Amino acid sequence: QEYTLRATANSNENDEDYDGLVVFKNYVESASNGAIAVELFIGTQLCSNGAECLQGVADGSIDIYISTSGGASGIFPYVQVLDLPYLMADDRIAEAVLAGDFTRKVREMALEDSGGMIRLMTIGNTGGWRNFANTQRRIAAPSDMEGLKIRTVVADLPQELVRVLGAAPTPIPWPELFTSLQTGVVEGSKNGITDIMGMKFPDAGLQYLTLDGHAYMGALWWMNNERFLSMPEDLRRVVVDGFYALQQATFASPKRKSIPAYEEFVAGGGDLYVPTPEEKAAFKEAAAPVFDWFKANVGRGEEVFNALNEAVAEAEAEVNAARDADLN
Amino acid sequence: MLIWFLPLFLLFLMIGLPVFFGLLAAPGLLLWLNGQERDITLLYRNVYNGMDSFPLMAIPFFMLAGELMNRGGITLRLVEFAQALMGHFRGGLAHVNILSSMLFAGLSGSAVADTSALGSMLIPAMEKQGYTRRFAAAITAASSVIGPIIPPSGIMIIYAYVMGESVAALFLAGIVPGILVGVGLMGVVKLMADKYDFPVASAKTTWGQRGQASLKAFFPLMTPVIILGGILAGVFTPTEAAAVAVAYALIIGFFVMRTLKVSDLPDILGRAGITSAVVLLLVGAAMAFKTVVSLSYAPQIMADFMLSLSENPLILLLLINLLLFVVGMFLDAGPAIIILGPILGPIFVDLGVDPIHFAIIMSVNLTVGLATPPMGLVLFVASSVSGERVERIAKAILPFLAVEILVIFLITYFPAISMTIPRLTGFAQ
Amino acid sequence: MGALLAVLAPFRIVNEALFKVGRGLGVICVAAMVVAILIQVFFRYVLNNALPWPDEAARFAMLWMTGLMAPTAFRRGGFVAIDMVVRLLPVRLGALLSLFLLFVMLLVLVIAAQIGWSEVTGFGGRFATASLYLPTNLSFTEWFRVPRSWMMASLLVGIIMMISANIELILRAVISLLGGAENLPEIPGTETIGAE
Ligand code: NA
Ligand code: NA
Repeated sequence: QEYTLRATANSNENDEDYDGLVVFKNYVESASNGAIAVELFIGTQLCSNGAECLQGVADGSIDIYISTSGGASGIFPYVQVLDLPYLMADDRIAEAVLAGDFTRKVREMALEDSGGMIRLMTIGNTGGWRNFANTQRRIAAPSDMEGLKIRTVVADLPQELVRVLGAAPTPIPWPELFTSLQTGVVEGSKNGITDIMGMKFPDAGLQYLTLDGHAYMGALWWMNNERFLSMPEDLRRVVVDGFYALQQATFASPKRKSIPAYEEFVAGGGDLYVPTPEEKAAFKEAAAPVFDWFKANVGRGEEVFNALNEAVAEAEAEVNAARDADLN
Repeated sequence: MLIWFLPLFLLFLMIGLPVFFGLLAAPGLLLWLNGQERDITLLYRNVYNGMDSFPLMAIPFFMLAGELMNRGGITLRLVEFAQALMGHFRGGLAHVNILSSMLFAGLSGSAVADTSALGSMLIPAMEKQGYTRRFAAAITAASSVIGPIIPPSGIMIIYAYVMGESVAALFLAGIVPGILVGVGLMGVVKLMADKYDFPVASAKTTWGQRGQASLKAFFPLMTPVIILGGILAGVFTPTEAAAVAVAYALIIGFFVMRTLKVSDLPDILGRAGITSAVVLLLVGAAMAFKTVVSLSYAPQIMADFMLSLSENPLILLLLINLLLFVVGMFLDAGPAIIILGPILGPIFVDLGVDPIHFAIIMSVNLTVGLATPPMGLVLFVASSVSGERVERIAKAILPFLAVEILVIFLITYFPAISMTIPRLTGFAQ
Repeated sequence: MGALLAVLAPFRIVNEALFKVGRGLGVICVAAMVVAILIQVFFRYVLNNALPWPDEAARFAMLWMTGLMAPTAFRRGGFVAIDMVVRLLPVRLGALLSLFLLFVMLLVLVIAAQIGWSEVTGFGGRFATASLYLPTNLSFTEWFRVPRSWMMASLLVGIIMMISANIELILRAVISLLGGAENLPEIPGTETIGAE
């Protein structure tokens, strides 16, 4: 083989990132007829967070890496636009947005800001949607959030979101979260269902889950740009199609994986609440100050915010037209 | 080819290269020979990234709290308390030495700190009463391994960090094993005391004297209660608990016992800082080494090899204890955990061993390794505080090591010893 | 011999002074870590209002503590090693082995310093810290986001200080090898260090 691509994901083999990589590896290795080999490093053996791993992608010690928006925000702060609440209505809209020009726009911005070193290949999903879950009470309206200590990562946007909803953001390291929920250091978290069940948080008292879907858990797939461009065009096409297959796999995987997770949550006595459209609108309204905060405080925030909103409008038109066409 | 960095690393260690440099030089050289220059950068980067961690910060904090209490005369009060309880037995000071280590363990996360603090006080005292110097040094070294078994514990903080376990759960799981080691050592002392006619340290104390000693030891003995209580009650995370322990030590040192002066602080902070800096660098280097371990596919090779020997967890646990014991002879507990934990842990968890249980087996085994030659940190320190040669201490420590090995096997085959407390408090399933 | 001692003197004097400054700053870092985390506990538990910055600020201080204080331990011989072989060998041979080991360490340090420099000045250093800001004017209206390179520089500084100490130790080893051990001024504060 002529090219060996080293790909890493900081999750584990139960994660949709891994599903995506397996699809990618399989596609690329067979479609390139063995010219490209893909080596997978799952976990934190090579690097353990966005800053470290993207540094590796930039200098070529890692070829492919998946980061969350939080992980890349230290250098590309505008990717946090995906963490803004309630912009994309559902999976179908999100998938249309991410398959389109919005991703190319972010790629262009990241190439500019990394001096042409880091290339965004595609944006998939990792873990579905973020929802608010807590140990205290059912949350049906923003006022129910009042005073709850909600765990966030150390980053300003998620903290700002929790704050405008009236709760108290509390940074806690992920491995300590179980204990912290159990002992009341924090009373809630904002995670996807598979992470919640994977860490057995309901055993620590996390029994109230509101499906507000406040953020799409985007998975940003990065590649060393030079490495990509060093390949002949036919192989580049294989890689690009490999990432398309990967994206499709990561769109599908969380949907399948979340079913048993939700079932398990409910079977364990958990309170699963689906807010009505009116309640969801109330959340969106309460969260509105975050949009202004984002545009004012995040580098190139306004630019990316507008790009996403345009993409969402287009996607909504397109998807709704398709829906209408399929109705009769 | 790359896999040769493992024997090269051992060679470097044996000829006397400091562990920190061995962890970098061996994989670095092999990567270079293998034409993987880009991965040498990865090696450097992981030293830095390995140190940049919030949970690890508990290590300098617990070091500092121990240093403050030691300087504030708290060690002395603990020893007096132990003496009031056990001084009148035959072999009294040897028992006092062990009990003091158990009490000190509740304030400090470090066996080395335990040896130097208690050794400098108790070894001369034991010699004065007619114990041989090597025996006094050996019992000090042997009992100081209790320090990182009873919480708080630097070693368990490292384990939790590398393996993503909860520090609190590991702390709780260490309590009974730590007490068991202490009781086991006391048993050996009792046997030896009757056989060799050890001296009695002091006349039997009255209940009044005991009460007074307990009163004086009350504030230091509250430290573990605050640390564990705070974590259990949900007031703080382990790192925060460690910082609170520092604040508590400052308060008793300055306002309750009034034994500390502001002018002592720079020196105390300096000592804690230097010691922690060395440990953090070592953790960083071990994390970098681990990167190359995974690039070399050593974990898969190791797992396949282990499972080819047997698939019975009971037999594999026996083998793993032997392996860890040998590793512990040559490597400090911290680096050994960082390198081997991610290789061995998943194998046993897949076989149905509880992750917390395995953590305790590994931590206790490697902690005991701190007192085994040729690379026994605690032996080095016992040697430097007593003036006795390492080889002679190493010989005198054998009966105590035997009982510690016995305890390791008890912990291994009776999970309830470590798992009961974390289960009762809901920190383990 | 005299010439060697004359070369050693400036290294010794510079290292003494430099490392003392390092320890002083390191002490401040240790104190800052404690204060930051206590503030975190106070704000979260007492005021029920978690602050975003103490976590990262304390890590910042911890990394600088390591960079500034580890060189002192290195210079004092506080990095654990198995010295059995060196002690079992005939004196001359043992000294030669020690010298060889010091050169291995120098090699590691020099390569590390090169990589460290390109790391700090490279792409990774351009990442912003998540929550650390400094005011850029006295009225606190303009804030500057601290880049990650300020944190990453800690290890580089530590390595450069260790190179300086390493050269001093090599000179001392050469002087001992030539039989001048008794002329060597002692390095104060030598002891075994470990936190395990
Ligand atoms: Na302890
Ligand atoms: Na040992």
